[in-house]
Amino acid sequence: MTLVALVLGAALAVVCVLFVARPFLREPDPVEDRLEEPDELERSRLARAEERDRALAALKELEFDHRTGTVSDEDYRLLVGPLRRRAAETLRPFATPGRGKEGATPKGGRELIEIPEQPVPPEPPQVVPEPYPPPGEADLPQPPVIPEPLPEPGTPDRI
Amino acid sequence: MPELGRAALVLALGLALYATVAGGYAAWRRRRRLALSAQNALLAAFAATVVAAAVLLSALVRHDFSFTVVAQTTSTDLPLAYTISAFWGGQAGSLLLWLLVLTGYGAAAVALGRRAGRDVIAWVVPLLGAVCVFFAFLLVGVASPFATQVAPAEGAGMTPSLQNPYMLAHPPLLYLGYVGLTIPWAFAMGSLLAGRADERWIVATRRWTLAAWTFLGVGQLLGAHWAYEEVGWGGYYAWDPVENAALMPWLAATAFLHSVLIQEKRGMLKVWNMLLVVGAFLLSLFGTFLTRSGVVNSIHSFTQSSIGPWFLFFICVVTAFSLALLFRRLPLLRTKTRLESLVSREATFLYNNLLLVALCLTILWGVVFPIVSEAVRGEAVTVGPPYYNFFLRVFGLPLLLLMGIGPLIAWRRAGLRSVGRIFVAPFGIALAAGLLLLAFGAGSSIPGLVAYTFSAFVLASIALEFIRGTRARRALGSSSWPAAFSSLVGRNRRRYGGYVVHAAIVMLAIGVAGSSAYGTVREAKLQPGQSMRVADYTLVYRGVEERQGANAREVRARLAVSRDGRDLGELAPGKNHYRVEGETANEVGIRSDLLTGEDLFVIADEFDSDGAAYFKVFVKPLVNLIWLAGLVFILGSLIAFWPDGREGRRLAVRYEPGAARA
Repeated sequence: MTLVALVLGAALAVVCVLFVARPFLREPDPVEDRLEEPDELERSRLARAEERDRALAALKELEFDHRTGTVSDEDYRLLVGPLRRRAAETLRPFATPGRGKEGATPKGGRELIEIPEQPVPPEPPQVVPEPYPPPGEADLPQPPVIPEPLPEPGTPDRI
Repeated sequence: MPELGRAALVLALGLALYATVAGGYAAWRRRRRLALSAQNALLAAFAATVVAAAVLLSALVRHDFSFTVVAQTTSTDLPLAYTISAFWGGQAGSLLLWLLVLTGYGAAAVALGRRAGRDVIAWVVPLLGAVCVFFAFLLVGVASPFATQVAPAEGAGMTPSLQNPYMLAHPPLLYLGYVGLTIPWAFAMGSLLAGRADERWIVATRRWTLAAWTFLGVGQLLGAHWAYEEVGWGGYYAWDPVENAALMPWLAATAFLHSVLIQEKRGMLKVWNMLLVVGAFLLSLFGTFLTRSGVVNSIHSFTQSSIGPWFLFFICVVTAFSLALLFRRLPLLRTKTRLESLVSREATFLYNNLLLVALCLTILWGVVFPIVSEAVRGEAVTVGPPYYNFFLRVFGLPLLLLMGIGPLIAWRRAGLRSVGRIFVAPFGIALAAGLLLLAFGAGSSIPGLVAYTFSAFVLASIALEFIRGTRARRALGSSSWPAAFSSLVGRNRRRYGGYVVHAAIVMLAIGVAGSSAYGTVREAKLQPGQSMRVADYTLVYRGVEERQGANAREVRARLAVSRDGRDLGELAPGKNHYRVEGETANEVGIRSDLLTGEDLFVIADEFDSDGAAYFKVFVKPLVNLIWLAGLVFILGSLIAFWPDGREGRRLAVRYEPGAARA
């Protein structure tokens, strides 16, 4: 039994050693033995791709949450502008023709923004208060309710 | 063939050592063939460990008592399934299972983890190899499962409480969870070592983390059911240190699964996520240390040994290494993004994280308190269930509430007016549920009432999310309501799978609150023919009977059960006397009402020679929701885990530029 065990153990060891040595046995004299690693350009492309996906996903989620009613018209108006601008900014380097690798967004990008873009809901009409409260109900006139304006085009995003 | 087992383990140790040293050098000096060779060494270490495990399994099945482990944990009359479960019933076998799962996970993660990038994988190999070296070293030099002796005629048998079907699955699932947390740690550290600032490590380990977390959760639930049925004190969770040891990494991993979403969606919390990954891995090691070392008193004392100091040493090394690396790479993890509003989904995720971590640390403090007090005052002071229950309410109830708030709040920021509008329906439902429960007498326990009200709030908000989402999908062109529902879930499996998991946690909370806050208990000594009433139930003691089981003499009390005059059959609680082990174990009688989720739970504590018996009877409302929650939990995890073709294509575009041109 001991001899059988030793033979089996030795066979296992030989197989394992051969498997471990396989890369050297297959390529005893390789032209290139350097481990692939991303250069600065690739790292920066990857960072931009992540940023692009994040911006597109945020826009998609906002559109859907607005459709479901989780995000109100008011919040939607406030959020959609900066998000659209951000998404456009992040897509710009990828959309430029002749940029090789980076021109490769369409498939994933389209899927991310496949929900039809919704028009920004109109702002609610300004509430005009009565100039003076009915006598006896209050001593002072109420200030008018002014809705918050949409962010101006070009307003820097907070990201 | 213990020699083959020993040889296989020595080989596994050598291969893991090679993977660590050669792999580390290859990653540092950027050597491609050497890195591949180290990767192969990790795969070969798995093969060698499989051989070692096969040798032990074969010895167990053949009842080869020349193996010390086999003689100590089995006997010839032990049923086959329990004989196999003896693999992880003892110290050395359970360490071998750790190594087997670790090398298997490591081999699979390295083979499947291409998305992490070759440079990251090159560092992952030596990191996983180093953890393998530690466990292989323990198995070779400290606690060998292949120690031999002169074979006795009969083995010592298995601890009776381990002879339970749940023990076939509970420990392996816990190991799959504990060990699984090594993978995200190795990829996170590998990413830092490779100088990566991107999120490839998160993408590569997302499913590994989810799988480990699910295994850990289900393993704990099975353990709770084992305790409920087998340990026989009338409960399912006793805040035992070893139970807590599994809960802590699960809580840390839960926090990570939530906060990693913020990193993916907003690019925030990079350092925090790294800390959580390191914490979850360290807590899984700490859990194993607690189970094995015997430093604290536990009902799991059957695996105490002297390997504690080795574990402590390894935990210190991993902590020092991880924190030093994290500190050194801090500039890589800096982010410009800030939290925009305290009323936003990411803010609720952040609150959830803080509460989870606070609960985890509170439990950790309770677990180590006896050790600390012994070191400081020379006397071990144990922290009991009241301490844990208090903090569970303090942190757990707000956590429950946040599960309902989070999904309904928008990312980035939400106006208070729109938040108020969207919460009207769930808040109304919760209020109505609370008032209704109060009217039905649930006010006897304020935490119970609060838990139920919060649960109604969470369930209402989850239901609303599904209804609104399905309606929106239908409006976007789905042909029917089922198609719209399926499209909703299929297009965002993580989000909607997460909601299903939330529903499972709510069911768990309802079950725990119902069975602990609104339960009834009565004790009585009955002569044959006498009866007792507990809640609506009447139990008539008909007498005692004995029979010979497979490996134990079984003594059972026969109790006729009825409710409001309606016959509900018989219960037979009693005791098993195990001949070989020379031990006695309680066998409880349980009658489950699947419609109401209630259990009638009977313990026959003692039998007198005149036929009288002492009974302890519990009525546990809604307790079966806890076990049902396990099934819902698995369903939700599977939905979240299921591969998403769209996401796969998107990631291919992101990480493999060639794929997009194809």
